[in-house]
Amino acid sequence: MTTRLRLQELLGPILLVVAFSYAVGLQSAQGLLIVQSTLALFVMVLALHVFVGNSGVLSFGHGAFAMFGAFASGIVTTPSNIKEHSLQLQHLYPFLVNLNLGMYPSLVLAILAGAIVAGLSGLLLMRLNGLAAGIATFALLGVAYNIFFNNNRIGPGSQALLALPPFQFFEEPVVLTVIVMLAVYLFGISRAGRTLRATREDPLAAPALGISIMRVRWIAFTLSGAIAGLGGAMFAHVAGTVQVQDYYLPYTFMTLSMLIIGGGASLWGATVGTLLVTGIGQILLMMEQQKPILGIVVHLPNGTRAIVIALSLVVMLLWRSDGVTKGREFKLGMPKLRK
Amino acid sequence: MIQAILDAVSLGGVYALAALGLGLVFGVMRLVNFAHAELITVASYTLVMTHQFPLLVSIIFSVVVASLMALIMELVAYRRLRGSNPATMLIVSFGVSVLLQKVYELVFGALPRSASVATWMTGAFTVGGVSITTASVVTIVLAVVILLAMGYLVERTKLGLQLRAAASDFQTARLLGVRSNRLIASAFVISGALAAVVAFVNVVGNPQVDPRFGLDITILALVGIVVGGMNSLRGSALGGFIVGAVLSLLNVILGNGRVYAYSWMFVIVIVILLVRPGGILSKFATKERV
Repeated sequence: MTTRLRLQELLGPILLVVAFSYAVGLQSAQGLLIVQSTLALFVMVLALHVFVGNSGVLSFGHGAFAMFGAFASGIVTTPSNIKEHSLQLQHLYPFLVNLNLGMYPSLVLAILAGAIVAGLSGLLLMRLNGLAAGIATFALLGVAYNIFFNNNRIGPGSQALLALPPFQFFEEPVVLTVIVMLAVYLFGISRAGRTLRATREDPLAAPALGISIMRVRWIAFTLSGAIAGLGGAMFAHVAGTVQVQDYYLPYTFMTLSMLIIGGGASLWGATVGTLLVTGIGQILLMMEQQKPILGIVVHLPNGTRAIVIALSLVVMLLWRSDGVTKGREFKLGMPKLRK
Repeated sequence: MIQAILDAVSLGGVYALAALGLGLVFGVMRLVNFAHAELITVASYTLVMTHQFPLLVSIIFSVVVASLMALIMELVAYRRLRGSNPATMLIVSFGVSVLLQKVYELVFGALPRSASVATWMTGAFTVGGVSITTASVVTIVLAVVILLAMGYLVERTKLGLQLRAAASDFQTARLLGVRSNRLIASAFVISGALAAVVAFVNVVGNPQVDPRFGLDITILALVGIVVGGMNSLRGSALGGFIVGAVLSLLNVILGNGRVYAYSWMFVIVIVILLVRPGGILSKFATKERV
């Protein structure tokens, strides 16, 4: 009971992401930064899509997994001599001071961290439905924030971890993102993914067919926790620094907006949403900085960007709550007329 | 010790008021209004901006502004969402909340605005050798008076009857002739007014108003209505009170570990939700029926 793999559904989004990366990223140093941070956010959006999109259960808690991923990867890639001497890390556990890993082992660690935290908390959280689930995942984010903000034995506390190694090559985040997209798509068409969507469509009929809602949700939650861990770590390495506030409410809001604006139920929706929000954000940023767009300078006051993004989320939900793509996968050509 | 209990009761009272505001709106339209935070914030800004006026005038101003803002939210955004999935409405209100925060940032600046409001409340007095802060006593009195007034409104008036009816079964209430638009609008207006009271107490305690001023209290009040039971107004207020009081007591009990008070609080919430998804006051685990 799997869905047929339709190559265009997979290749369409991948080609768009790769094309975007090369078209923007190779232009300038600033373009490179835009591409890398967009990809890092996109991985997080994909994580949300795996769980929220497929299960229909809201999660505000994924920022917690991103936090764990980012700090796990950040702490082990910060060189020991920096950890010994920097003021904000003086209370760190000694084994963390001495632990040094390369970029890729640290990303594996981030994925594991995200998966473990999601898997354990999921055992409890997946029992809940609807609003209770939304509030409980919010509580999870609150706990993670509270712990990382105050505990300076496992991280920098309220301070920032500085001097994280960046990605060496332009292609690295691109390849990582494509791998995640592949995994997300394969999960979507797998038996578990399909069953999960069945529980989303009808939470009463699905158990009647012998589906354990808790079990399929838990699988998706754990997988999406792993991806969120990777997304958080990528975000940290692209920025070169990690601070607990970076993964709190604005981050949660931004990534959820991207998913919902695009259409949470499909890979194509997650892709379109991320690129659309990034594109609009960049254009508005250029307007705020009074840079010419196609030769025209429009001046906007600072802060307009955030307002427009929040406004477009609200308008999008009021106007079309399934997002731009209506949650459909990518398809070439004209839509067929239904009989 | 007495001061600790008074603090717990007064914080509990404030959170009960905030939770009641959220619970009213949730009752009539299943909306968890995250943007309640921005109602508290705008009322606080109003208090600070009008501090040169007599206190009563400035409080009336803030009540009016917050109620108007609540009404606008309902007319512009939430009205179109009636009957949609609660999760969708929650995200919309999250969006409205961020939107308003950014608007405040543009209008008032990101840095805190401050002014001394009701300075007579910041002192302390001694009763039988025990020093007691004025603020805690005033807060308790205020909370009790308003909770009693709300109790009267909800239990004894026609509007209250309609609110209770709508909270337990909105469809049936409509069929029996409750005017939904008017009822929902009045729930929003009352929640705005309650937000203004919460704002007043908070501004007296901490007159540094920034665009995120109302956020923390709203998050905890949200937790409160979930804990108490979202389907009854009494449950909301009780839940809010419990959250505030427990948090205040945790701060005393945990000593040096008090920075983790929030974590303990949230863990308690998750456990309560697992045991009683419908809240403390729910008699049975409610399950949505087809």
